[in-house]
Amino acid sequence: MTKKQLGIFLGVVAVLIAALIVGIVLTDGLYERDVNIQESMQDAVLHEGDKVWFFGLQVNPGLISAYLVTAVILIFAAIVRIFVIPRFKLVPGRFQIVLEEAVGMFTGMAEKNSPHRNKFLGAYIFAAAAYIFVGTLFELVGFPWQSAAGESVTLPAPLSDINGAIALGCLSYLVILAGGIAANRARGLGRTLKEFSLPISMSFRLFGALLSGLLVSELVYSYLTLSFVLPVLVGVLFTVMHALVQAYVLATLTALIYGEVTEPYVKKTRAHSKEKHHQIKPEVNV
Amino acid sequence: MPLNIDWQQILLHLLNFVILFAGLWLLLYKPVKKFMQGRKEKYEKMESDAQNKVAEAEQTRAEYEQKLAAADAEIAKKRADAGKELDSYETMRRAAAEEEASAIVAAARESAAREKERAVSEARSEIAGLVTEATEKLVLNGNASEAYDSFLDAAQKQTSTKGGGKA
Repeated sequence: MTKKQLGIFLGVVAVLIAALIVGIVLTDGLYERDVNIQESMQDAVLHEGDKVWFFGLQVNPGLISAYLVTAVILIFAAIVRIFVIPRFKLVPGRFQIVLEEAVGMFTGMAEKNSPHRNKFLGAYIFAAAAYIFVGTLFELVGFPWQSAAGESVTLPAPLSDINGAIALGCLSYLVILAGGIAANRARGLGRTLKEFSLPISMSFRLFGALLSGLLVSELVYSYLTLSFVLPVLVGVLFTVMHALVQAYVLATLTALIYGEVTEPYVKKTRAHSKEKHHQIKPEVNV
Repeated sequence: MPLNIDWQQILLHLLNFVILFAGLWLLLYKPVKKFMQGRKEKYEKMESDAQNKVAEAEQTRAEYEQKLAAADAEIAKKRADAGKELDSYETMRRAAAEEEASAIVAAARESAAREKERAVSEARSEIAGLVTEATEKLVLNGNASEAYDSFLDAAQKQTSTKGGGKA
């Protein structure tokens, strides 16, 4: 037996012994969690019991997460701005490709969905997608914070706080509204108001999607026996995927509807409508 | 509010996102986009420059081809002109040569005629001399018929000698 084979053998034995010890400990009734699952899930949704202090205000921990996420993103952006962007090359390196791809993807999305007015839109959906993506991944860090009651709480994803989701959903709607008014005045306002359900659907889609990940994670963590290995899979499924999917969904929806409301109005002629009428009529009869 | 919705916290979230948006736009989005735009413009300029140069080269080539065609046409025209000139020169030279030849022939004929006239006049003067001489001898020596015969012989001889020499 070579040294390498011996090392592998000893490693496997050590892992087996560790797994057996963990199994023996977990099957002991003493180590079961005594917190009510309903209470913990209610707290995860409503944050009634884990308020934290924020400049003298009692707020949900999601708000602290939001500001921390913003700080992290802005520090990263500042470092990139100072040290990386001045060294950009015509033939890009790996990191430059990632940055250019991120910016190019959202710029392209804005230009494709809203060809007439897209400069602000591109920047907005880039920021929103970055916020959703990093904010959702922030949940995986499990950053501890002290609650107002003096207990330790783990900071959740900013958008699993309903106030954060409503803020982003409503802001997206306001951006669309502003774009519509700037492009088409009263007609743009009308087109945007026609989509009155948009802020609610956007907000609750974000909230629901991110909360579902949080609830499943909470459910898994509430049983000590499930809190090994499985959270990794759950975390990947409900956090990383949500981070990507929700960022993409909000960016796409915002760009799409922004493009619709900012589209220039083309007056239909009577001949056109008559033609259309004639074309449609036989189909109706058939 | 139901579901723990709090307007104050919504506004705080909005403030947070506005800060994030402004910072991200200034620090990351705008510079990266500007760089990408600059690079795109640079490559577009390079491409347009290359296209312009190709078009310029094509134009120069067309101009040269046109000049070559014009030069060929000019050469052909000059060649044709030179041919015509050569033909006319040849014609002129031939006419001059013919004229000169005619003049030479005319001069030769004139000269021959003068020579003949001169020979005839000399023969006449010699015949006259012979006649005079024969007459003198005849008168002085007696027999007239012999003298006449000798005169005719001398004249015939003289005439044949002069005529054969000239011919």
